[in-house]
Amino acid sequence: MEDVELFAYRREDGSVGVRNHVAIISVDHAGAVVAEGVSKLLRGVEAVTHQYGRLQFGEDLQLTFNTLIGVGCNPNVAAAVVVGIEPNWTSKIAKEIAKRSKKPVESVWVIGQGTISAIAEAAKKARELVSYVSEIRREPCRLSEIVIGVKCGASDTTSGIASNPVIGKVGEWIVDIGGTFIFGETTELAGAENIIASRFENEGEKRKFLEVFDNYVKFAKSKGVDILGSQPTQENIAGGLTTIEEKALGNIQKVPDRPIKGVLKPAERPPGKGLWFMDSSSSAQEQVTLLAAAGAAIHLFSTGKGNTVGHQILPVIKVTGNPITAKQMKDNIDVDVSGITLGQMSLEDGARRLYEFMIKVANGKLTAAEILKHDNFAITRLYPSM
Amino acid sequence: MKVYLHDEKDNVVVALDNLKPGDKIEAKGKVITVRQEIPFGHKVAIENIPKGSYIIKYGEVIGVATTNIEEGEHVHIHNLKSLKYT
Repeated sequence: MEDVELFAYRREDGSVGVRNHVAIISVDHAGAVVAEGVSKLLRGVEAVTHQYGRLQFGEDLQLTFNTLIGVGCNPNVAAAVVVGIEPNWTSKIAKEIAKRSKKPVESVWVIGQGTISAIAEAAKKARELVSYVSEIRREPCRLSEIVIGVKCGASDTTSGIASNPVIGKVGEWIVDIGGTFIFGETTELAGAENIIASRFENEGEKRKFLEVFDNYVKFAKSKGVDILGSQPTQENIAGGLTTIEEKALGNIQKVPDRPIKGVLKPAERPPGKGLWFMDSSSSAQEQVTLLAAAGAAIHLFSTGKGNTVGHQILPVIKVTGNPITAKQMKDNIDVDVSGITLGQMSLEDGARRLYEFMIKVANGKLTAAEILKHDNFAITRLYPSM
Repeated sequence: MKVYLHDEKDNVVVALDNLKPGDKIEAKGKVITVRQEIPFGHKVAIENIPKGSYIIKYGEVIGVATTNIEEGEHVHIHNLKSLKYT
């Protein structure tokens, strides 16, 4: 497969985006109300909201900050307004986004003026930014310049037969043309962790991966959950999956069979091109958000039964190999590769179908989850607030 | 009858339909007679697999046969177990 020229947004920091959003990013619950208010007043803004950001500490607070800063720096965002309850953390996040991405970033806080006034202030600032970003033109870029993420959810037998291998194949093409591809879902690899470990380019990163994996298993055990012993689930067994190895092998079909460069921390931007593993939850909305924070501009999502996840700033492309899901949930599905399951389509043809759709999305075509406003931004919490 | 072979090295295929005893399936160029009811998504042995040998799917070991399995038999929790976590 050859690299493709397409029209996208080249940002100041060298990254390439496929959307041109003004993000209204909330630092906390107070900011969330303001961001929602602004999004009702203006065209061209995306409210990135959540209910956390208060009394968090240590690593957990840092991950929330990194997620908010990372989403602000994402190349699909052209400008941002950061809104929070008070000036300290709000300005800190706004300044960091501006420093790293060189984008116009404003900040607004609620204390000292109240919610209605804060909405007005944020809306005035966002209005200027919308006007400014609407003049930014798409320009010729290469597909290999776009960071692409992957995940599967609501999987079934057809995921291992069709949608996962299709994504794996597309991922191989992306890596081969010199692009960047990120996978994660630490727990989903259980049973095939040694296969993934064997694909790391260097020993240090391989050890780091196995450590991340073991820590997850131990953490779950400390909470009374045996991740390994509880797989496959009763539902999986009813669907025909017998062993944890078998389930994991189905999962990793979506991981390109290429050397893995290294392990990324949650929300960490990959330091170079190629294939990367990110330590991340298997919860769809959390994983998609962590990849958005890492700079992914397109996300490939494989589903059997029909997970509907989407994201404010990251287009999520739904691929299914289940003919029933493709029919019943047509509104939610972007690429139907159920022909593979039915023996009417080759894997190569399915992959080509996804590749072509992905290029359209990069050029501006909206995904089902974008049209349906599946705005599932979600913070990954590491432990409770104080 | 539709079945899916993930990899040429595999000794099982996946049923893409609910299979019944006597149904003929084709894998790796040979015709196999199904011996039991096998639901959609479940595995069928495409060769005789002696007790203690590996079950291969996706070209990788997914576990070990706990009984002698004959060609055309259902392969699942009653005759296959994980090597990793038991």
